[in-house]
Amino acid sequence: MSSLVPFFQWCDDSSVALAIRNSRAAFPVIENFHLFALTVLLGSIVVLCLRQFGLILKTQPISEVATALRPWNRWALAVMLTSGVLLFLSEAMKCYGNTSFRVKMLFLFAALLFQFTIYNRTVKHEGLSAPLGGKIAAGVALCLWFGVGLAGRAIGFLG
Amino acid sequence: MSVCQWLQDTYIGTSIRESIWVFPIIETIHVLALSVSVGLLLVSDLRLMGYIMKRRPVSEVYEQIKPWMFIGFAIMVVTGIFLFWCQAVKAYNSYFFRAKVVLLVVAAVNAIAFERGIYRKVEKWDNALVPPMEARVAGWASLILWAAIITCGRTMAYTF
Repeated sequence: MSSLVPFFQWCDDSSVALAIRNSRAAFPVIENFHLFALTVLLGSIVVLCLRQFGLILKTQPISEVATALRPWNRWALAVMLTSGVLLFLSEAMKCYGNTSFRVKMLFLFAALLFQFTIYNRTVKHEGLSAPLGGKIAAGVALCLWFGVGLAGRAIGFLG
Repeated sequence: MSVCQWLQDTYIGTSIRESIWVFPIIETIHVLALSVSVGLLLVSDLRLMGYIMKRRPVSEVYEQIKPWMFIGFAIMVVTGIFLFWCQAVKAYNSYFFRAKVVLLVVAAVNAIAFERGIYRKVEKWDNALVPPMEARVAGWASLILWAAIITCGRTMAYTF
Protein backbone atom coordinates (compact mmCIF):
# COMPACT_ATOMS: atom_id res chain seq x y z
CA MET A 1 0.00 0.00 0.00
CA SER A 2 2.83 2.40 0.74
CA SER A 3 3.54 2.70 -3.01
CA LEU A 4 0.38 4.79 -3.17
CA VAL A 5 1.73 7.45 -0.82
CA PRO A 6 3.17 9.67 -3.62
CA PHE A 7 -0.22 9.65 -5.34
CA PHE A 8 -2.04 10.67 -2.14
CA GLN A 9 0.62 13.33 -1.51
CA TRP A 10 0.14 14.67 -5.04
CA CYS A 11 -3.64 14.86 -4.48
CA ASP A 12 -3.07 16.61 -1.17
CA ASP A 13 -0.76 19.19 -2.80
CA SER A 14 -2.94 19.83 -5.87
CA SER A 15 -4.23 23.33 -6.50
CA VAL A 16 -7.85 22.16 -6.06
CA ALA A 17 -7.02 20.73 -2.64
CA LEU A 18 -5.28 23.96 -1.62
CA ALA A 19 -8.19 26.07 -2.81
CA ILE A 20 -10.68 24.00 -0.76
CA ARG A 21 -8.47 24.10 2.33
CA ASN A 22 -7.94 27.85 2.04
CA SER A 23 -11.65 28.57 1.92
CA ARG A 24 -13.74 28.53 5.07
CA ALA A 25 -16.98 27.76 3.24
CA ALA A 26 -15.85 25.34 0.51
CA PHE A 27 -15.62 22.14 2.57
CA PRO A 28 -18.99 22.52 4.38
CA VAL A 29 -20.73 23.51 1.12
CA ILE A 30 -19.30 20.55 -0.80
CA GLU A 31 -20.10 18.20 2.07
CA ASN A 32 -23.67 19.45 2.07
CA PHE A 33 -24.04 18.56 -1.60
CA HIS A 34 -22.48 15.19 -0.82
CA LEU A 35 -25.19 14.68 1.84
CA PHE A 36 -28.03 15.80 -0.48
CA ALA A 37 -26.82 13.37 -3.13
CA LEU A 38 -26.56 10.61 -0.52
CA THR A 39 -30.19 11.22 0.43
CA VAL A 40 -31.39 10.99 -3.17
CA LEU A 41 -29.16 8.00 -3.95
CA LEU A 42 -30.10 5.94 -0.89
CA GLY A 43 -33.75 6.98 -1.24
CA SER A 44 -33.95 5.78 -4.85
CA ILE A 45 -32.20 2.52 -3.98
CA VAL A 46 -34.37 1.87 -0.93
CA VAL A 47 -37.59 2.46 -2.91
CA LEU A 48 -36.48 0.09 -5.66
CA CYS A 49 -35.33 -2.58 -3.20
CA LEU A 50 -38.57 -2.35 -1.18
CA ARG A 51 -40.38 -2.76 -4.50
CA GLN A 52 -38.36 -5.90 -5.25
CA PHE A 53 -39.13 -7.27 -1.81
CA GLY A 54 -42.81 -6.71 -2.70
CA LEU A 55 -43.39 -4.24 0.13
CA ILE A 56 -44.37 -1.07 -1.76
CA LEU A 57 -45.80 0.06 -5.14
CA LYS A 58 -46.99 -3.51 -5.67
CA THR A 59 -49.19 -2.66 -8.65
CA GLN A 60 -46.29 -1.27 -10.72
CA PRO A 61 -44.00 -3.67 -12.60
CA ILE A 62 -40.45 -3.64 -11.21
CA SER A 63 -38.97 -2.43 -14.50
CA GLU A 64 -41.36 0.56 -14.48
CA VAL A 65 -40.27 1.65 -10.99
CA ALA A 66 -36.63 1.21 -12.00
CA THR A 67 -37.11 3.35 -15.13
CA ALA A 68 -38.83 6.12 -13.16
CA LEU A 69 -36.03 6.26 -10.60
CA ARG A 70 -33.03 5.72 -12.91
CA PRO A 71 -32.30 9.38 -13.84
CA TRP A 72 -32.45 10.41 -10.15
CA ASN A 73 -30.20 7.56 -9.16
CA ARG A 74 -27.66 8.43 -11.88
CA TRP A 75 -27.61 12.16 -11.16
CA ALA A 76 -27.26 11.54 -7.45
CA LEU A 77 -24.38 9.16 -8.13
CA ALA A 78 -22.65 11.74 -10.34
CA VAL A 79 -22.97 14.49 -7.70
CA MET A 80 -21.91 12.05 -5.00
CA LEU A 81 -18.74 10.98 -6.83
CA THR A 82 -17.79 14.52 -7.89
CA SER A 83 -18.26 16.02 -4.43
CA GLY A 84 -16.62 12.96 -2.90
CA VAL A 85 -13.50 13.37 -5.05
CA LEU A 86 -13.27 17.05 -4.06
CA LEU A 87 -13.64 16.24 -0.35
CA PHE A 88 -11.00 13.53 -0.70
CA LEU A 89 -8.53 15.84 -2.50
CA SER A 90 -8.76 18.41 0.28
CA GLU A 91 -7.65 15.89 2.90
CA ALA A 92 -6.01 13.11 0.92
CA MET A 93 -3.18 12.44 3.38
CA LYS A 94 -5.64 12.27 6.29
CA CYS A 95 -7.68 9.74 4.31
CA TYR A 96 -4.60 7.63 3.54
CA GLY A 97 -4.07 6.70 7.17
CA ASN A 98 -7.78 6.34 7.87
CA THR A 99 -9.02 2.74 8.13
CA SER A 100 -12.67 3.77 7.73
CA PHE A 101 -11.77 5.49 4.45
CA ARG A 102 -10.21 2.29 3.12
CA VAL A 103 -13.25 0.27 4.19
CA LYS A 104 -15.51 2.83 2.54
CA MET A 105 -13.61 2.61 -0.76
CA LEU A 106 -13.89 -1.19 -0.70
CA PHE A 107 -17.64 -0.97 -0.10
CA LEU A 108 -17.97 1.70 -2.80
CA PHE A 109 -16.17 -0.34 -5.46
CA ALA A 110 -18.13 -3.45 -4.49
CA ALA A 111 -21.44 -1.52 -4.57
CA LEU A 112 -20.73 0.06 -7.97
CA LEU A 113 -19.49 -3.21 -9.46
CA PHE A 114 -22.49 -5.13 -8.12
CA GLN A 115 -24.99 -2.51 -9.24
CA PHE A 116 -23.73 -2.17 -12.80
CA THR A 117 -23.17 -5.87 -13.42
CA ILE A 118 -25.70 -7.98 -11.55
CA TYR A 119 -28.23 -5.69 -9.84
CA ASN A 120 -29.23 -3.64 -12.88
CA ARG A 121 -30.17 -6.86 -14.68
CA THR A 122 -32.52 -7.92 -11.92
CA VAL A 123 -34.49 -4.66 -12.05
CA LYS A 124 -35.33 -5.21 -15.74
CA HIS A 125 -37.86 -7.76 -14.52
CA GLU A 126 -41.24 -6.83 -16.02
CA GLY A 127 -43.42 -8.85 -13.69
CA LEU A 128 -45.16 -7.75 -10.53
CA SER A 129 -43.27 -10.10 -8.25
CA ALA A 130 -39.48 -10.41 -8.19
CA PRO A 131 -37.95 -13.90 -8.34
CA LEU A 132 -35.87 -15.00 -5.34
CA GLY A 133 -32.66 -14.01 -7.14
CA GLY A 134 -33.94 -10.46 -7.56
CA LYS A 135 -34.84 -10.23 -3.87
CA ILE A 136 -31.40 -11.48 -2.83
CA ALA A 137 -29.74 -9.03 -5.22
CA ALA A 138 -31.83 -6.21 -3.70
CA GLY A 139 -30.72 -7.25 -0.20
CA VAL A 140 -27.05 -7.35 -1.24
CA ALA A 141 -27.29 -3.94 -2.97
CA LEU A 142 -28.90 -2.42 0.15
CA CYS A 143 -26.20 -3.83 2.44
CA LEU A 144 -23.38 -2.62 0.18
CA TRP A 145 -24.74 0.93 -0.11
CA PHE A 146 -25.49 1.14 3.61
CA GLY A 147 -21.94 -0.10 4.17
CA VAL A 148 -20.68 2.85 2.13
CA GLY A 149 -22.76 5.23 4.23
CA LEU A 150 -21.73 3.69 7.56
CA ALA A 151 -18.02 3.63 6.75
CA GLY A 152 -18.30 7.18 5.38
CA ARG A 153 -19.75 8.45 8.63
CA ALA A 154 -17.06 6.55 10.52
CA ILE A 155 -14.26 8.45 8.68
CA GLY A 156 -14.97 11.50 10.80
CA PHE A 157 -15.47 9.61 14.06
CA LEU A 158 -13.06 6.70 14.15
CA GLY A 159 -10.10 7.47 11.92
CA MET B 1 -31.34 27.55 29.13
CA SER B 2 -31.15 26.09 32.64
CA VAL B 3 -33.48 23.35 31.39
CA CYS B 4 -30.89 22.53 28.71
CA GLN B 5 -28.12 22.47 31.31
CA TRP B 6 -30.19 20.18 33.55
CA LEU B 7 -31.04 17.93 30.60
CA GLN B 8 -27.46 17.36 29.52
CA ASP B 9 -26.37 16.82 33.14
CA THR B 10 -28.86 13.97 33.57
CA TYR B 11 -27.50 10.46 33.72
CA ILE B 12 -28.51 9.65 30.13
CA GLY B 13 -27.14 12.92 28.75
CA THR B 14 -23.77 12.45 30.43
CA SER B 15 -23.52 8.76 29.49
CA ILE B 16 -24.12 9.44 25.79
CA ARG B 17 -21.68 12.34 25.73
CA GLU B 18 -18.91 10.51 27.53
CA SER B 19 -19.16 7.18 25.77
CA ILE B 20 -16.83 6.63 22.83
CA TRP B 21 -19.33 4.58 20.86
CA VAL B 22 -22.84 5.67 21.73
CA PHE B 23 -22.80 9.17 20.24
CA PRO B 24 -21.31 8.11 16.85
CA ILE B 25 -23.71 5.15 16.64
CA ILE B 26 -26.78 7.30 17.37
CA GLU B 27 -25.62 9.95 14.93
CA THR B 28 -24.97 7.40 12.18
CA ILE B 29 -28.46 5.94 12.65
CA HIS B 30 -29.84 9.52 12.55
CA VAL B 31 -28.11 10.24 9.22
CA LEU B 32 -29.02 6.92 7.59
CA ALA B 33 -32.66 7.20 8.70
CA LEU B 34 -32.62 10.72 7.31
CA SER B 35 -31.41 9.64 3.89
CA VAL B 36 -33.99 6.85 3.75
CA SER B 37 -37.00 8.87 4.88
CA VAL B 38 -36.17 12.01 2.89
CA GLY B 39 -35.31 9.82 -0.10
CA LEU B 40 -38.77 8.22 0.15
CA LEU B 41 -40.30 11.67 0.61
CA LEU B 42 -38.54 12.77 -2.59
CA VAL B 43 -40.20 9.99 -4.58
CA SER B 44 -43.71 10.84 -3.35
CA ASP B 45 -43.07 14.60 -3.77
CA LEU B 46 -41.85 14.04 -7.34
CA ARG B 47 -45.13 12.26 -8.10
CA LEU B 48 -47.03 15.16 -6.51
CA MET B 49 -45.10 17.61 -8.67
CA GLY B 50 -45.90 15.53 -11.77
CA TYR B 51 -42.35 14.46 -12.62
CA ILE B 52 -42.29 10.68 -12.14
CA MET B 53 -44.70 7.70 -12.22
CA LYS B 54 -47.23 9.97 -13.93
CA ARG B 55 -49.43 7.14 -15.12
CA ARG B 56 -49.94 5.85 -11.58
CA PRO B 57 -52.58 7.38 -9.27
CA VAL B 58 -51.07 9.87 -6.81
CA SER B 59 -52.78 8.23 -3.82
CA GLU B 60 -51.39 4.81 -4.79
CA VAL B 61 -47.78 6.06 -4.79
CA TYR B 62 -48.27 8.23 -1.70
CA GLU B 63 -50.13 5.73 0.49
CA GLN B 64 -47.67 2.91 -0.20
CA ILE B 65 -44.61 5.00 0.55
CA LYS B 66 -46.06 6.76 3.59
CA PRO B 67 -45.72 4.01 6.26
CA TRP B 68 -42.02 3.48 5.41
CA MET B 69 -41.43 7.19 5.43
CA PHE B 70 -42.95 7.43 8.90
CA ILE B 71 -40.78 4.61 10.22
CA GLY B 72 -37.75 6.59 9.00
CA PHE B 73 -39.07 9.84 10.51
CA ALA B 74 -39.77 8.11 13.84
CA ILE B 75 -36.20 6.75 14.01
CA MET B 76 -34.91 10.21 13.11
CA VAL B 77 -36.96 11.92 15.83
CA VAL B 78 -35.97 9.42 18.54
CA THR B 79 -32.25 9.53 17.67
CA GLY B 80 -32.49 13.30 17.27
CA ILE B 81 -33.91 13.67 20.79
CA PHE B 82 -31.01 11.65 22.24
CA LEU B 83 -28.47 13.73 20.30
CA PHE B 84 -30.07 16.92 21.65
CA TRP B 85 -30.24 15.44 25.15
CA CYS B 86 -26.48 15.09 25.48
CA GLN B 87 -25.56 18.42 23.82
CA ALA B 88 -28.52 20.55 24.84
CA VAL B 89 -26.64 23.72 25.80
CA LYS B 90 -24.52 23.85 22.65
CA ALA B 91 -27.56 23.09 20.50
CA TYR B 92 -29.66 25.73 22.21
CA ASN B 93 -26.95 28.33 21.60
CA SER B 94 -26.58 27.41 17.93
CA TYR B 95 -28.53 29.56 15.45
CA PHE B 96 -28.52 26.67 13.00
CA PHE B 97 -30.25 24.46 15.57
CA ARG B 98 -32.90 27.09 16.20
CA ALA B 99 -33.44 27.53 12.47
CA LYS B 100 -33.67 23.75 12.10
CA VAL B 101 -36.41 23.49 14.74
CA VAL B 102 -38.39 26.30 13.11
CA LEU B 103 -38.03 24.67 9.67
CA LEU B 104 -39.14 21.29 11.07
CA VAL B 105 -42.29 22.91 12.44
CA VAL B 106 -42.95 24.61 9.08
CA ALA B 107 -42.42 21.27 7.27
CA ALA B 108 -44.91 19.59 9.62
CA VAL B 109 -47.46 22.38 9.07
CA ASN B 110 -46.98 22.03 5.31
CA ALA B 111 -47.58 18.26 5.49
CA ILE B 112 -50.69 18.66 7.68
CA ALA B 113 -52.06 21.44 5.45
CA PHE B 114 -51.63 19.17 2.43
CA GLU B 115 -53.37 16.20 4.09
CA ARG B 116 -56.23 18.33 5.40
CA GLY B 117 -56.49 20.45 2.25
CA ILE B 118 -56.11 19.40 -1.37
CA TYR B 119 -55.42 15.73 -0.55
CA ARG B 120 -58.95 15.32 0.86
CA LYS B 121 -60.26 15.77 -2.67
CA VAL B 122 -57.61 13.51 -4.19
CA GLU B 123 -60.13 11.33 -6.04
CA LYS B 124 -60.81 14.31 -8.30
CA TRP B 125 -57.18 14.56 -9.47
CA ASP B 126 -55.75 11.16 -8.57
CA ASN B 127 -55.03 10.23 -12.18
CA ALA B 128 -53.84 13.66 -13.31
CA LEU B 129 -50.45 13.49 -15.04
CA VAL B 130 -49.63 16.80 -13.39
CA PRO B 131 -51.55 17.39 -10.11
CA PRO B 132 -53.19 20.76 -9.33
CA MET B 133 -51.12 23.78 -8.33
CA GLU B 134 -51.84 23.44 -4.60
CA ALA B 135 -50.45 19.89 -4.54
CA ARG B 136 -47.38 20.85 -6.62
CA VAL B 137 -46.63 23.75 -4.29
CA ALA B 138 -46.87 21.42 -1.27
CA GLY B 139 -44.38 19.07 -2.99
CA TRP B 140 -41.91 21.86 -3.78
CA ALA B 141 -42.24 23.35 -0.31
CA SER B 142 -41.55 20.02 1.34
CA LEU B 143 -38.40 19.40 -0.73
CA ILE B 144 -37.02 22.91 -0.20
CA LEU B 145 -37.76 22.75 3.54
CA TRP B 146 -36.03 19.39 3.93
CA ALA B 147 -33.00 20.55 1.97
CA ALA B 148 -32.78 23.51 4.36
CA ILE B 149 -33.26 21.23 7.40
CA ILE B 150 -30.40 18.98 6.23
CA THR B 151 -28.18 22.01 5.65
CA CYS B 152 -28.90 23.43 9.12
CA GLY B 153 -28.37 20.04 10.75
CA ARG B 154 -25.03 19.45 9.05
CA THR B 155 -23.84 23.02 9.61
CA MET B 156 -24.69 23.06 13.34
CA ALA B 157 -22.42 20.03 13.76
CA TYR B 158 -19.44 22.03 12.45
CA THR B 159 -19.84 24.53 15.24
CA PHE B 160 -19.90 21.86 17.98
